[in-house]
Amino acid sequence: MIKLRAVFEKSGRAKYISHLDLNRCMLRVFRRSKLPVWYTEGFNPHPYFSFALALSLGFDSKCEILDFSLNEELPFDEVRGRLNDVLPEGMRILSVSEPKMKITEIAKAEYSIVLSSENAEELLDKISLLIDSSEILVEKKTKKGVKTIDLKPFIEILNIEKDNDKVLLQMRLPAGTQTNYNPTLFLEALKNTENAAFEAENICRTGILCENNDIFL
Amino acid sequence: MLRNKIEKFLLSVQKPSRYIGGEAGSIVKDKSKIDVRFAFCFPDTYDIGMSHLGMKILYSLINERENYWCERVFAPAEDFEAIMRENDIPLYGLESLEPITDFDFIGFTMQYELSYTNVLNMLDLAHIPVFARDRGGELSQIIVAGGPCVCNPEPLADFFDLFILGEGEEVNLELMDLYLRHKKSGSTKHEFLKDAAQIQGIYVPMFYHFHYGENGIIESMETSDGVPEIVHKRIIKDFDKVYYPDNFVVPFTEIVHDRASVEVLRGCIRGCRFCQAGFIYRPFREKTTDTVCRETQALCENTGYDEVSLASLSTSDHSEIDTMLTRLIDYTEGEHINLSLPSMRVDNFSESLLEKIKRVRKSGLTFAAEGGTQRLRDVMNKNVTEEEIMNTCRIAFQGGYSNVKLYFMMGLPTETDEDIVGIAELAQRVVDLYYSIENRPKGRGVQVSVSTATFVPKPFTPFEFEPQDTRAEIERKQKLLVDSIKTKKIKVSWHDPNVSILEAVLAKGDRRLCEVIYTAWRKGCKFDSWSEYYKFDLWQEAFAECGVDMAFYANRRFEYDEILPWDHLDYYVSKEFFIRENKKARQAETTQNCRLKCAGCGVSKCIGGKCFD
Repeated sequence: MIKLRAVFEKSGRAKYISHLDLNRCMLRVFRRSKLPVWYTEGFNPHPYFSFALALSLGFDSKCEILDFSLNEELPFDEVRGRLNDVLPEGMRILSVSEPKMKITEIAKAEYSIVLSSENAEELLDKISLLIDSSEILVEKKTKKGVKTIDLKPFIEILNIEKDNDKVLLQMRLPAGTQTNYNPTLFLEALKNTENAAFEAENICRTGILCENNDIFL
Repeated sequence: MLRNKIEKFLLSVQKPSRYIGGEAGSIVKDKSKIDVRFAFCFPDTYDIGMSHLGMKILYSLINERENYWCERVFAPAEDFEAIMRENDIPLYGLESLEPITDFDFIGFTMQYELSYTNVLNMLDLAHIPVFARDRGGELSQIIVAGGPCVCNPEPLADFFDLFILGEGEEVNLELMDLYLRHKKSGSTKHEFLKDAAQIQGIYVPMFYHFHYGENGIIESMETSDGVPEIVHKRIIKDFDKVYYPDNFVVPFTEIVHDRASVEVLRGCIRGCRFCQAGFIYRPFREKTTDTVCRETQALCENTGYDEVSLASLSTSDHSEIDTMLTRLIDYTEGEHINLSLPSMRVDNFSESLLEKIKRVRKSGLTFAAEGGTQRLRDVMNKNVTEEEIMNTCRIAFQGGYSNVKLYFMMGLPTETDEDIVGIAELAQRVVDLYYSIENRPKGRGVQVSVSTATFVPKPFTPFEFEPQDTRAEIERKQKLLVDSIKTKKIKVSWHDPNVSILEAVLAKGDRRLCEVIYTAWRKGCKFDSWSEYYKFDLWQEAFAECGVDMAFYANRRFEYDEILPWDHLDYYVSKEFFIRENKKARQAETTQNCRLKCAGCGVSKCIGGKCFD
């Protein structure tokens, strides 16, 4: 059994594929590719694969991680090509390699966000104000109920800039098996505390990182 | 751009992937190279429409032609419809994400009567006037319909430019070819329709005119513009060679039938007298084992589905069923594919067949017994005896099944209370049988589900003349059935009689129903087949306002010599045959299946001789 890790992008029409549907979709992609994928043994054998980090419905991504196994060794490029031949529009494998890190090493994710507003100048100010405040409180729904969390200690803002009527925002947030904060939490805080009027035009996950900011591979 | 507008709202609706296309297998073409665009509309939601096999066949067939482009269109669910209306998003094709007003053909498949209001709603969402007479004379946006319901298209006649009768694999392309010629020569819509009416299988309702007598019954029908007096349906003569797609659009979201599907045969040899499909899809034709296996493999490989089902009206009637299943199972087991076999009949459910099915699926067993007594089963020509039902149940129980579902119909012609009580008694004997079997599944009780539907008389069946039971009578019989059941091991369920009544009216209706359907839709009726949306009170209001009596269509016996609203349409099974069968039904006389003995229904003339060698 050969373990492999693919990095793929999900954008365009494909961003409306939910995580649950993506599982079903990949099952069929593997079958179409006719790659010698490794099947689980058991009552209901199925190709074994898993996604490192779920992506919210509607987000673009340039860095999704898919782990799977093959029964025989094949050149990475061939595996990539055969999957790309049968993937739906908007999904594309960027690279295939051996997994180097453990899934538990995932600590952060990086996002690039495009906000549009009738008054981008003002929006920019409000974002700066929120980021500089001592706490960024927002309600987060969990399985146990709603709790208030403070994003401030967790959020890393990499860049904010204005581009005509848009504000571009780049940030890192905790991600992985321990703590997972969705960038929409920050946008909610912005809406609530600063009373900002904007529309999130695009949210794209641009990187999955380890604690020391190395790219997860 | 419409796409941006759509995407802006997608995240606020349920299952957004239904509205954006992009699925594997969907076909996007360069529209600058396209001569004719076809919007294939299913008048229900994506989840249901995407399960429909006919659409998959015609979608691929049209798209095989380089210069034609077929796209899919479905009815949006309530949440997205509200957004579309508020934000001026017109109904669009899922491939190009462009409004269907840009298309040459807008084709609906009419699979059930309760989808009629959805057609109006979809046209309205597309910003297209629902009445054909309001749409102008230019050659564009030809609104067409096909599917089983168009065997009596009269209740829809005012909304459509033309109907396509019978099988679409050939005639759809002929129609598009004709359109292209007219488009190039700059014809009007009227000129095109006049020519289209000369193609076999094409019915252009505006050239057929009805006159009604004082008693409301059709007095005469006349034609204009030189169209044929009788329109014959289309059939595919060489069914084994007919086009079949080697790929399907594979949806992201789960749909009702989320699997590959291979058609093994068309038509039915059985002749159950209530069953419209059993007559309008005649003659019986089957694909060879080789073809079925080849098509199964191609579809599974190209779609990546891990489940395939065999589609037909009665799969076990295939002459090579044992060989076919053996070969298919060899393939599917090796590839980790589940094979599912709906539509298997009780009487030829052999032990070896059950063994095969057991290897491939573990779900429940369903038997359409249809009638509670032998007499009633003979009336409807459901050639199944109680012994056969019991035998099959015995095999199933011994094979480890403990759940059985039995289908029955209520309100059939000549039905008496004895027949209703007979349903309960039959179900009880199935329960008793279970406990009499020594090697029954250990430690499990038996569950017999009795599902009853109300009989709906349908055109092109021997029961087309029959009245439907009134609501009071249906409700009385339902109560009688429930009172006749003595054990919790039998569960009874039934359809809402108000739904069956509307089905009967729309199935047997004439052109005077167009106004009623329009009025009901204006009042807010849509998704009538969904119980949570069905508003019978609004339908009743609509009928009252239009001065149309439901009982005239549902509860009146249509006379043998009456001009029926569908008499000018020919599905090759003759009216004389239906009358003969109707008379035999009244005597509880059965007719043998077509393979045993030709009953002379008339269909063989369209294939030039005999249905069976």
